[in-house]
Amino acid sequence: MANRLRGPILVTLILVVVACGGDAATTTAPSSVTTAAAGATTAAGATTAATGTGELSVLEWAFYEVPEMWVEFGEAHPEVTPVFNFGASDPDIFAKYLAGSGEDIVHFYTPYLRFYVDEGLIQPIDTSKLSNWSKVPPLFADSCTIDGTVYCVPWDWGFTSLLYNTDMIPEVTSWEALFDDAYAGHVSTYDCGDCAVNIAGALLGYDPTNLSPEQLEEIKQLYIDQKPNVLFYWADEPTLEAGFTDESIWLAYAWNGAYYRLLNAGLPVAYADPVEGRESWIGQYGISAETENYDLALEFLDGKLGEQTGTNLLVDYAYGHVVPDYFGAVTDENLVTALSLDDPTVLDRTNFTPQISREQLEEYVAMWAEVQASS
Amino acid sequence: MRAAADLRRGPARWALVLPLVIFLGVFFLVPVALMGVFSFRPSLRGGVANWDWDPVLDHYRTIAASESFLPLLGKSVLIALLVGVVATTLAYPVAYFLAFRAGRKAGLLLTILIIPFWVSYLLRIISWKVLLGPTGAINSFLAWLGLIDQPVTILLYSRTAVVITLVYVWLPFVALPIYATMLRIDRRLLEAASNLGAPPATAFRRVTLPLSLPGVAAAFLMVFIPTVGEYVAPLLVGGSQGALYGNIIEIFFGDGINWPLGSALAMVMAVGILALLFVLTRTRPVRRLLDDL
Amino acid sequence: MRRRWGLPSYYTFLAILLYVPIAILFLFAFNDGTALSFPIQGFTLEWYRSMFDNEQLLGAARSSVGVAMGTATVATALGTGAALAFLRFDFPGKQALAAAAMLPLLVPFLILGVSLLILFSALDIPRSLLTVGVGHTVIAIPYTLLVMGARLADFPASMEEAARDLGATYPYTLRRVLIPILAPAMISAWLLAFTVSIDEFVIASFMIGREPTLPVYIFGQLRFANRFPQVVALSTVVIVLSVGLLLLAERLRRIGSARVAARAEG
Repeated sequence: MANRLRGPILVTLILVVVACGGDAATTTAPSSVTTAAAGATTAAGATTAATGTGELSVLEWAFYEVPEMWVEFGEAHPEVTPVFNFGASDPDIFAKYLAGSGEDIVHFYTPYLRFYVDEGLIQPIDTSKLSNWSKVPPLFADSCTIDGTVYCVPWDWGFTSLLYNTDMIPEVTSWEALFDDAYAGHVSTYDCGDCAVNIAGALLGYDPTNLSPEQLEEIKQLYIDQKPNVLFYWADEPTLEAGFTDESIWLAYAWNGAYYRLLNAGLPVAYADPVEGRESWIGQYGISAETENYDLALEFLDGKLGEQTGTNLLVDYAYGHVVPDYFGAVTDENLVTALSLDDPTVLDRTNFTPQISREQLEEYVAMWAEVQASS
Repeated sequence: MRAAADLRRGPARWALVLPLVIFLGVFFLVPVALMGVFSFRPSLRGGVANWDWDPVLDHYRTIAASESFLPLLGKSVLIALLVGVVATTLAYPVAYFLAFRAGRKAGLLLTILIIPFWVSYLLRIISWKVLLGPTGAINSFLAWLGLIDQPVTILLYSRTAVVITLVYVWLPFVALPIYATMLRIDRRLLEAASNLGAPPATAFRRVTLPLSLPGVAAAFLMVFIPTVGEYVAPLLVGGSQGALYGNIIEIFFGDGINWPLGSALAMVMAVGILALLFVLTRTRPVRRLLDDL
Repeated sequence: MRRRWGLPSYYTFLAILLYVPIAILFLFAFNDGTALSFPIQGFTLEWYRSMFDNEQLLGAARSSVGVAMGTATVATALGTGAALAFLRFDFPGKQALAAAAMLPLLVPFLILGVSLLILFSALDIPRSLLTVGVGHTVIAIPYTLLVMGARLADFPASMEEAARDLGATYPYTLRRVLIPILAPAMISAWLLAFTVSIDEFVIASFMIGREPTLPVYIFGQLRFANRFPQVVALSTVVIVLSVGLLLLAERLRRIGSARVAARAEG
């Protein structure tokens, strides 16, 4: 062997000889165990195999796959068992779809709509075939419209604002609190570059769809300065909620679902109504440009706008549904509070997440990566 | 009778080696080279399979211009060195004990060390979250003793937590190559040293230690290489301050959808590691060690 | 007496250190609550019951075993062939090839993962358990090659040479002479490759298609606190059964050697 590599190769060799020669028996064990587990799976799996003839696949966020989230479609098409594949975040789902995962339906959020359209991944929605479309107010319908063409069906929405522990800090009235040194070590914010730009934009009065390099630099500096105050950047709500529960987190960028669950847990939390306005997001479903099940996919989405599914989304998960007619079903006081259903003017003061270009997204994520890398 | 040299040149030799060459060529060398090519791609627009673009150096410029990317690579290398040194140092006495003192029980005692390795790597990281967290074992214990009234949050979510977790994750594995090398040391050398009147400490320093160094080097490498590219432990226990260079690469392949910049960052890391290993093998002590092998 | 007690105490200390975090984690497999935080809520076996209803968890475990078995088989076959070529034959470029085959050990998995991601995306090959297996085979090959190389270096080529001097073709020699001799080492190599694959997370997370492997599933479950104790419960089962099998194997080995000894005496 090449002289230069002889050393490393020999040492690794020695390592391996022992690793397996010494304890061959130890390495066998896990395999047999998991094989036994696999046997059990086969037995269990047989009962849940798809029974129908139709096929429909959805690239989805976890939790939305349960039948309660597609009641109408399930009743209309008992023969179809939708197949759900999952992504962990918007970028993750977009990357999967771009790489050709090929599901009939994909679930994304407003800033990403344009990327799917630009890459030719989704096709226009024939809204005339949606029996529930007329119930969707313009605010939400417009979020799916580009140059007069509807490219998606809006479904879920919610707020983004500051969630805080009222025992630990006084009333929060501005996004500025997120950058306040007084709460150092007890702050958490969402691990998301474009979201970070939206908040800083609202605070500084900049337009996220049209930022100058200097403004972006200023935003980066803002977050670098904030970094020592942040305990962790959250990527999933359970981690964030655990932070509030164990009181390591006092103040956080959060969605209203977390607020609702913490209210239910009896924690002293409040959800700010910042002077700069709350942020809000809208979830949307697109249909693959290459689907062979276009009509079936439309039916699935029409069912998503149905009353039972809509009510389940509101009541089970505490997220908004795009059809306001169903809000009446919400009687739970905490849920009314969490969705601000008692104060319709909140929506007027809310900034809905803007559509940004792919170049902007890349810039914002690069900015965020620099924030993560700095110290 | 055929000459041995003839036997060493049959057509069988190609049938034996070509499958491996083709496999590693297609699934190792080509992808890494492709990643190198992608690092010169302006952007991912037009899809991954689009070849209609002119190479640019933009991404390398971005990395060079960034105030934080290269410093973070430096820090990550230092942390990997630290984790490697701490893990090997902690494991060395155990390997020595097993090889020279434990006698017939060595196999059993080694197995006891290896069993924790059967718990998934992710769960072993999580177990430290459970230990160090605000409502974790350590904080609860301290509160129970009455030593603290507010949980100490700095235990978790820090670079120290990342280092502790990684040392823990690697520790049982690291003892193996050192132990293996020690087993191969000829006991007669130690007897000779003793017969010639060398005190045990001297025998250790002059015989055992030098002869076990190859295992130490292997152990160190086994920790160092994966730690430089580590991104999972920082995600789980690192908090806002714990990010390593691997996390930045991961961002651009996941969130950024900017594979070209991610590729450039990965190329910088790969070249950095190889250069570091090359330099290390040139230094005199390592050089001498390699010549002895 | 420091010399006598120092090292055993240190060993005990380190072993305890290795076990304590896991033992504390394992408490939550029996904890009547979903959060991995103290205080412990109460004793339950619910997680063990619901674990077997969690088809995703068991399916992920099955996928992991399948990938690991495929990885181990391919990597052992390739490694054995190449080890024979490297140690028993001469051909141009041998040194460089042998060195290059070790390179996957010197590259972080993150880099292998993303570069394979680029390759398969560029070729428009959808990711699946098969692509995970391909990635794992790349990292398992150096290990199988090293194991087989070490075994071949330990015994002389005279047997194969004798067979071939007697007129046996190489394939015949391989089948009748070499493989029987190499079988124990091949089993070692296979098991080593299996262990490399079964707990691998980084490459798998980039290569995964629709069906997750167990580590990828576990990582996904971190965001669903309400089911996480099942994962811990599964882990305890794996450990207990592994140790059980280990003890059984040791017992069988003892019975076996006792019989051999008895026969030798009788």
